[in-house]
Amino acid sequence: MTSRIRALLRLFTIQASWNYERMQGIGMGYAAAPLLEGLKSTAPGRYADAVARSAEYFNCHPFLAGVAVGALARAEEDGVPGPLIQRLRTALCGPLGALGDQVFWAGLLPALMALTMIAVAGGVGAWAVVSFLIVFNGLRLATAWWGLRTGLETGLQVAGAIQRSWLPRVGPWLGPAAGFLVGFAVPASGGYLLEGAPAGTLASTLGTAIVGMVLFHRLPAMVTALRYGLTLVAAALLWRWLVP
Amino acid sequence: MTLPFDLSIVLGLLGWGTLVGLDLVSVPQMMISRPLVAGTIAGAIAGDVASGMRVGLLLELFALDVLAVGAARYPDYGPATVVAAAYAAASPAAWQAVLGPAALLGLLLARLGGWTMPYLRHANARVVQLHSAELATGDLGRIEAIHWLSLIRDAVRSFALTAFGLLLVALWLRIPTHSEWLPAVAAVGAAMAAAWNGSIRTAGRGFRLTWVEAGAVAGLIWAVWTR
Repeated sequence: MTSRIRALLRLFTIQASWNYERMQGIGMGYAAAPLLEGLKSTAPGRYADAVARSAEYFNCHPFLAGVAVGALARAEEDGVPGPLIQRLRTALCGPLGALGDQVFWAGLLPALMALTMIAVAGGVGAWAVVSFLIVFNGLRLATAWWGLRTGLETGLQVAGAIQRSWLPRVGPWLGPAAGFLVGFAVPASGGYLLEGAPAGTLASTLGTAIVGMVLFHRLPAMVTALRYGLTLVAAALLWRWLVP
Repeated sequence: MTLPFDLSIVLGLLGWGTLVGLDLVSVPQMMISRPLVAGTIAGAIAGDVASGMRVGLLLELFALDVLAVGAARYPDYGPATVVAAAYAAASPAAWQAVLGPAALLGLLLARLGGWTMPYLRHANARVVQLHSAELATGDLGRIEAIHWLSLIRDAVRSFALTAFGLLLVALWLRIPTHSEWLPAVAAVGAAMAAAWNGSIRTAGRGFRLTWVEAGAVAGLIWAVWTR
């Protein structure tokens, strides 16, 4: 297995040692280790310093961590001075975090999940769930490979490579699509879950949802979605048990 | 207190709950921890895919309120959904009677799971602090050991959460159920509020909000049309 493939596989565990001290740092060091092995023979004096740097503080979106792992490993291989590598490491945290959140957490994931929910509500069944897993993970694997390759090819020039890539361009498209699909999936799922309910149930469910949204808006510190759900369901169950 | 499942099913649910607990943050983040996925497969393990999928869909609506960014603290819906789906599969009551108690069980466990995450992260941080001198010298063996031990710590957390939840299932099945729709309406209404709230918060006040509103109107028309 090549060092790139080993690093790619290790990227999937990047957050296993997530902590409040170095955040993803230890995971970055673990993922970068196969890429730094070459230094053992070419620059043994730099190897221990490179490994130590690779596990320092770092945090970004986990799906884009490969970009940073690749770029930092390339910089170590090129013999870039340590302080410059540390500056690159710090500089990559923000942009990779923000881009990843926009593209994956606020775009691709809710869009694909909403499509799956609509498919389930439409009667497609468990195949919709299987399709979601295949499509999402196919895209995720392709992104991880692209990120690692881009980082390794560009090294210190990685910021420009990200800026010219597909990454900043898809976010503005994915956001509205995710918004529309989630907006659609919510009542579609509600209708599916209340299938067979008497007439008027959908209206009272909508009323419950609207009251909840007003409370979230007016009392954001007090009423969270989880608290609202717990309180409402517990009260409804208690009511039915006490007043049969 | 006994569970209404064979030992092989209990072991399958424990294994699946542990995997989805790990998937949330640690490994491999392939979204098996999404409630719809976790619930459907838990339902298949427990012998009732349809119930698992429905419970998963309900809790997925709650999970859409969560934006898992940075060091944020959020509920752990994975093992919670596995347990709630197991309850729904085991309960002999009608669907509308099961939905409310399943939602309550799932939400309670999701909250409990969310509380355990900061403890795990603090425990990992303490180990990193303890070995900071070795880390500064570039000791790769120490980096790998810390990484793997953290992963095992999260696996233990996820296993314990699922095991505790499955014990609660035995208790939950003793609770009398009613075939009224009120608890189901409360659960679905709160879930819809959570999902819309999440999408509106993410959309902000820009034109993306218009897309959310357009989707909601289209979805409502579709829901009424298909009833």
